[in-house]
Amino acid sequence: MTVTVEAPEQSPARHGLLRYAATKAGGALLSIAMVIVATFFLFRLLPGDPVRALAQGRNMTPEQLDLERARLGLDKSIPEQFLHFVKQTLQFDLGVSYEYKRPVVDLIGERIGSTLLLTGTALVIAVSLGLWQGARAGWRPGSRFDKVSTAISLVLWSVPTFWLGLLLLMVFAAGVGPIPGIFPTRGSSSVDKPDGFAGVLDVGVHMVLPCLTLVAVVYAQYLLVMRSSVLDEVGQDYITTARAKGLRDDDVRRKHAVPNALLPTVTLVFMRIGFVVGGAVTVEAIFSWPGLGQLFYEAIRVPDFTLMQGTFLLITVSVILMNTLADVIYHLLDPRVRSA
Amino acid sequence: MRKLLAVLGALCLAVVPGVAYAADPVKDPAKKVIKVGVTQSVDSMNPFLAVRLVTGSIQRMIYGFLTVPDSRTLQPSPDLAESWTTSPDGLTWTFKIRQAKWSDGQPITADDAAWTFNKMITDDGAKTGNGPAVANFQSVTANGQELTIKLKTPQASMLDNPVPIMPKHVWEKVKNISEYDAEVYPTVGSGPYVAVEHKKDQFVRLEANPSYWRGRPKIDELQVIFYDNPAASIVGLKKGDIDLIGRLNPPDFESLKGDDNIVQWNTQGRRAAYLQINHGATTSDNKPIGDGHPALEDPRVRTALHYAIDKQKLVDEVQGGLAKPADGSIIPPLYKDFFWAASGAEKVTFDLAKANKILDDAGYKKGPDGVRTMPDGSRKLQFRFSIHTDTPIEDKLAEYLTGWFKEIGITLTTKRLDSSKFTEETGTTALFDIAISGWSVNPDPEEVLGTHLCSRRPTASGQGGGTESFYCDPQYESLYLQQQKELDRTKRADIIKKMEERLYTDAPVIALYYPNDLEGYRKDRIASITPIPEDKGLLYGGSGYWPFYTLEAVSKDGAAAESGGLSGGVIAGIAAAVVVVLIGGFFVLRRRQGAADERE
Repeated sequence: MTVTVEAPEQSPARHGLLRYAATKAGGALLSIAMVIVATFFLFRLLPGDPVRALAQGRNMTPEQLDLERARLGLDKSIPEQFLHFVKQTLQFDLGVSYEYKRPVVDLIGERIGSTLLLTGTALVIAVSLGLWQGARAGWRPGSRFDKVSTAISLVLWSVPTFWLGLLLLMVFAAGVGPIPGIFPTRGSSSVDKPDGFAGVLDVGVHMVLPCLTLVAVVYAQYLLVMRSSVLDEVGQDYITTARAKGLRDDDVRRKHAVPNALLPTVTLVFMRIGFVVGGAVTVEAIFSWPGLGQLFYEAIRVPDFTLMQGTFLLITVSVILMNTLADVIYHLLDPRVRSA
Repeated sequence: MRKLLAVLGALCLAVVPGVAYAADPVKDPAKKVIKVGVTQSVDSMNPFLAVRLVTGSIQRMIYGFLTVPDSRTLQPSPDLAESWTTSPDGLTWTFKIRQAKWSDGQPITADDAAWTFNKMITDDGAKTGNGPAVANFQSVTANGQELTIKLKTPQASMLDNPVPIMPKHVWEKVKNISEYDAEVYPTVGSGPYVAVEHKKDQFVRLEANPSYWRGRPKIDELQVIFYDNPAASIVGLKKGDIDLIGRLNPPDFESLKGDDNIVQWNTQGRRAAYLQINHGATTSDNKPIGDGHPALEDPRVRTALHYAIDKQKLVDEVQGGLAKPADGSIIPPLYKDFFWAASGAEKVTFDLAKANKILDDAGYKKGPDGVRTMPDGSRKLQFRFSIHTDTPIEDKLAEYLTGWFKEIGITLTTKRLDSSKFTEETGTTALFDIAISGWSVNPDPEEVLGTHLCSRRPTASGQGGGTESFYCDPQYESLYLQQQKELDRTKRADIIKKMEERLYTDAPVIALYYPNDLEGYRKDRIASITPIPEDKGLLYGGSGYWPFYTLEAVSKDGAAAESGGLSGGVIAGIAAAVVVVLIGGFFVLRRRQGAADERE
């Protein structure tokens, strides 16, 4: 019995892949177009007058309000506004934020780095931890390790992010009883951020609690998918063969079962990367982490329509793109999908 | 797995020295730094564009104004203008600008002030922040240190002008004010502090201005640190990440109790909380708008509602005792000069029997279900109460009101709205019966009084406005014009009190209480801070820079200088322990790996 499936002739496969990728890309483009249209109308259906919200209770004369409306382009008709919006978006111009009076693209540019840092790190840890723990748990179902890790991950998964974040904040930032409060309460760096390596460490310290919250909340899904995936492999003939060859159990798991079981997690990981761009609104709001999530949260609070629109578009588009990429990579990795 | 552990270990190792580092976040230990926590982020560092409260407070630190409220009386006192005169007709104001220097060493002249005001008059973009302040300006001219402002009509609030004076030599180079973010540091200003750094939605760093005309502030650096999450800011104060925080709500304030390092600052506030009643809302062209209950158009019904509110109970139960029941109107007692309190027969006290009698006499009969109907029997007296979503305090308030109103045969149902919907329904479309409202009042109350003028009602298409009550009353209107022209402060105050009396008796709004100003600061960091007004006033969020100019930090030599968290020694110990464990773990792993290699 062979372990790997022999690939058919190279060229038709590649051709098929290209066609598959093209179809998927087309679908993605269509989705993006629909998202652009939906975004425009969605944010105009929301209640509230942005100009009045901008005034924040300050009194403004009717002339001033009209002026602001004209400045924001809100005095034009909806079709005109729509055409303008589509044209702008296609040129990667997301408009000017009502609140900050600066281009949304710039605002996003300033934040995307800290969001990628936080959610990216959290994703790496969550994926590694989840997959590792899931593989071990699935390898010996019913073992104490399996029971404990599944239970812990399920509890963490069902805990509300906001609650968990606040709890961590109160315990590890403020300190409770014998637990000292060593981590900062807010932000991505100290106000007096030192230069060089100390500065990097400073950011690292600030990242611990938000990162921990994110990992705790998201890693369960990797664990569970990996666990069930490994569980499926355990009974397979090739595993028995590998064992029969006299390989150490650990090696059978690591070198044979896990690589095959990894497949279903690909989609999951890529989908998450899509969300990584959007950041984690809740976590960023708890820890005042200056990322895209916080920007989106601020935009909703105002409400700042262009900013909401811009961040929303960015998040949805990145999710669509990552989904498409996941499909294509899956297709590339799994011959069964390819032949189907 | 080993690789994974190694990665995790490396991550932990990266964190450990950082933990040790966190013990000493200040680069220069001799520097006196005070950190203020805020829960609103700065919208723009350009004073022509900024509208948020927090930005206003920061502008007060960076720029001089013509006048500043006196720290004792809250009356206008000299700031950049050291003296002023008014023409007999009240139309020409002449200010003498102080001989002082901008923070870059250039002299301050009347030309700077004239440029600032003229920019706002001529450039629509520059009107965003403080447009109404110059709406009544005819012309502004400068001659050396003398600034002359000619007005279209007399304006008593002239001396409370909210416009920061900008350095002409820096700002005249800006081409497009409405798109200028002013993120250039250090800023050139004339206030006690100079902004040296701003990280959006994170913090603003201000350094003492050595050339400030009153003299350099006593602390070296003031940091305004933004918290997205109020709960985190409380943790930050307890831990010592920040030294002062203002504008607390009662539960957060109570949670500071029992901390020896924290002073709970509880004083009279600048806010009034009131009910806004849809007494027949109209647009600015006097057309009815909205769907208010017709019974509320009857002043007798509104008065009956007023009698059915136990304000003391609301203070005790809803505000945790941290407020003062309102016997007056929309101006809180903090402003002694302008505060008016009802007395004698006019004073409304909690009296359900009287409320019932008023409604009985007015012909609103109780039906078999105990709910009153309109005199013509057309509708039951069932009102909606609009509040904000996710505000436990307003929910509680609604519960009490519902209970009392039931006693007088009126049904109240709560309607929760998110803030933008709330603003729209209660300020533009008038789709409400009764709504919660409130206003923070400035030392000059003209702005809050103005929110009850006919002209503030929205147009039929929902444009314009800025009304608090859809009020339009000839008597109130004429009093407003009178006080605007009255330059004698005492006489003006008398007129303003009449306006408050009118609001109290006619009841388009019913004042419930004046919430206290609740703040907290660390006494191991702040040695002294002078509130404004000085006897019993606000620290943060008041008017002017006085508290942060007079603030004295605890000397770093003192034992109390240690930050609120752990001492450096303990942290170093923890860090060392973690390192030992990690190294130990590393060796164990190595051994296991070695054994595995042997076996393979």
